[in-house]
Amino acid sequence: MTLLRQYILPRIVQWFVVIFVGISVTFLIPRLSPVNPVDQAMGRLTSFQTMDPEATLQMRETLLDLYGLDGSIIDQYLNFWGRLIQGDLGPSFQSFPTPVTEIIGAGIWWTIGLLGTAILISWVLGVVLGSLAGYFPQMWWSKFLERVVITVYPVPYYILAFVLLMLLTYYWPVFPLVGGSRGDPSFTWEFISSVLYFGFLPALSLVIGGTAFRFIMAKALASTEITSDYVQYAELAAVPKRKILFFYIIRNTMLPQVTDLALSLGTIFEGALITEVVFGYPGVGYTLYNAINSGDYNIIMGITLLSIVGIATASLLVDLIYPLLDPRVRLR
Amino acid sequence: MGQPIIQTENLKAYYITQAYGVERTVQAVDDISISINAGEVYGIAGESGCGKSTLLKVLLGSYEPPLTVVDGSVTYHLDDQTIDAVNLTPEEKRSLRWKDISYIPQGSMHVLNPVRKIRDTFHDFISAHRNVTRKESMKMTSSYLRDLGLPDKVMGSYPHQLSGGMRQRVTIALATILWPKLIFADEPTTALDVIVQRGVIQMLKEVQQREGSTLILITHDIGVHANLADRIAVLYAGKLVEEAPTRTIINEPKHPYTKFLIESLPSLDGREERSSIPGRPPALDHPPSGCRFHERCPLAKDICLTIDPEMISVGPNHRTACHVVAEELSHEPAI
Ligand SMILES: Nc1ncnc2c1ncn2[C@@H]1O[C@H](COP(=O)(O)OP(=O)(O)OP(=O)(O)O)[C@@H](O)[C@H]1O
Ligand code: SF4
Ligand SMILES: [Mg+2]
Repeated sequence: MTLLRQYILPRIVQWFVVIFVGISVTFLIPRLSPVNPVDQAMGRLTSFQTMDPEATLQMRETLLDLYGLDGSIIDQYLNFWGRLIQGDLGPSFQSFPTPVTEIIGAGIWWTIGLLGTAILISWVLGVVLGSLAGYFPQMWWSKFLERVVITVYPVPYYILAFVLLMLLTYYWPVFPLVGGSRGDPSFTWEFISSVLYFGFLPALSLVIGGTAFRFIMAKALASTEITSDYVQYAELAAVPKRKILFFYIIRNTMLPQVTDLALSLGTIFEGALITEVVFGYPGVGYTLYNAINSGDYNIIMGITLLSIVGIATASLLVDLIYPLLDPRVRLR
Repeated sequence: MGQPIIQTENLKAYYITQAYGVERTVQAVDDISISINAGEVYGIAGESGCGKSTLLKVLLGSYEPPLTVVDGSVTYHLDDQTIDAVNLTPEEKRSLRWKDISYIPQGSMHVLNPVRKIRDTFHDFISAHRNVTRKESMKMTSSYLRDLGLPDKVMGSYPHQLSGGMRQRVTIALATILWPKLIFADEPTTALDVIVQRGVIQMLKEVQQREGSTLILITHDIGVHANLADRIAVLYAGKLVEEAPTRTIINEPKHPYTKFLIESLPSLDGREERSSIPGRPPALDHPPSGCRFHERCPLAKDICLTIDPEMISVGPNHRTACHVVAEELSHEPAI
């Protein structure tokens, strides 16, 4: 009970506050900007065709309403929340009048699938391999792994992605160049296997970079752990190495590792811009890229809101998981 | 007193480090020969930094570079077997540890895995040496803890939920749950307050007496030795300077350093002034020539500056290394 009142409740309140403030700031920023999105849109529309003044004025009205830019700023703000709560983020301008939620909704599952899988795989691989390398620093495979990682890690991601793309779609074309799947979404092996097939290369590029980072972190944490009294004592008592690795070393590095995992999962909603653009993957990163290019404010806004909620939720989850990971947190 | 269970001969163990091409040798254990009998409590005393823990690590066969055995031997005599403890293979270590030889480390406050419940740690340590199910190891643990007077609820606790004294007792229980014949304890009572200390001493006594194990007890606290030890060895700057039964060491110390140690004990009524030893112990990378104690010794003579005194017998089970004592002895009329 005290755990609920003193630990969980304040964090849930904090979650609400963070989201509220984040969304309010997101609301304010475009309104403080000297560039008026309505003028921009009008400019784009009128540059292709001439309109009579009546129609222009009406157009302007409609746009103001769609952007939620009519009325005083207080009215706008209240309106904004009112629509948001109903899940209405307005229409996209690029593909008018498709609602923003629909466009983001179409991309989000691709992104969650791709990034979620890649982040989880590289986390597990990195933690296990890095901890092994930290526990057995003298072994040849440990030195070999470290050398590979140190070579891969500094390579900028976009170069890595392009090299993979060139190698595996052009010189040795085993993977498709663009797209997310073949056929309509359905629960058939054909569709699912095509998702895996199309997702493999972008996922691989993310896993390589992610594992390298995680490996370095895990190895550093494990090298500190092995000097701890409890690891040395268990070693002296000839407790099996496997048990020491998992329950003494890795288990004690879970606090920072899980925190970091949750925070990277929280950033999923921003999409993986470079990955999705390079591999032509139909996720929110790609959507965001197009929206920025075409000044589609509502979409940019929608994705921003989503990542605010994502990151806030991730840190809430971290806080809630803490007591499970480290018994010492429970008492505080 | 039984047969010897562990012996060293002219044991020299140095920390040899190399930093920026400069070799540094710390002579932490220098030329020590001792023989400890099965069933006895053997105390090792001496100031901080004199090499107590180093000697223990070598006796235990648990050391790695920079600590190196440069000369001499350590031998175990277990079940009619003679084992060279300087060159143990990992398999030998695994089969000896906990079943035959166990260790309660210095500063054992942090030897319990902070994210593991006490009962799981016990299971890890027991199942590493015995083919037991979890249920069996739990039963062993709870009955052993109960025998030692520890409350049942510690089984389900995490280390941070226990007091320092309780953690120390749990560690002693963890080290001795498989009834080892030879138990090493490094400063088991240091950093505990006096009342808790008494409990821990009592517990060590019980553990040792139950199966007549051999206990090698390291502490700078002569009071604890007086309580527990059958014999005491006094180390100074990596050297053994005196060894005798506890009573003899306390009542008739021979070596000037031992005399200081005994005099610095608080007396029972607490009225006497405590005298501390003048000066500081020497650094062991360049130990003083001759007798290592000569810089602080009030009796030092010329010979002490150049010649390392030899160990001589000065009574039953009593030996010491001091030129002045040797001289006095030779002047005494032969009986
Ligand atoms: N890893 C090391 N490298 C170099 N020198 C060391 C190392 N460990 C210990 N020493 C030195 O060896 C000497 C003996 O140390 P040791 O820990 O055995 O002393 P101790 O008698 O156990 O002291 P304390 O009562 O403080 O525990 C000291 O001079 C110490 O500085
Ligand atoms: S040998 Fe000399 S210096 Fe050393 S203790 Fe004896 S009298 Fe003192
Ligand atoms: Mg020590």
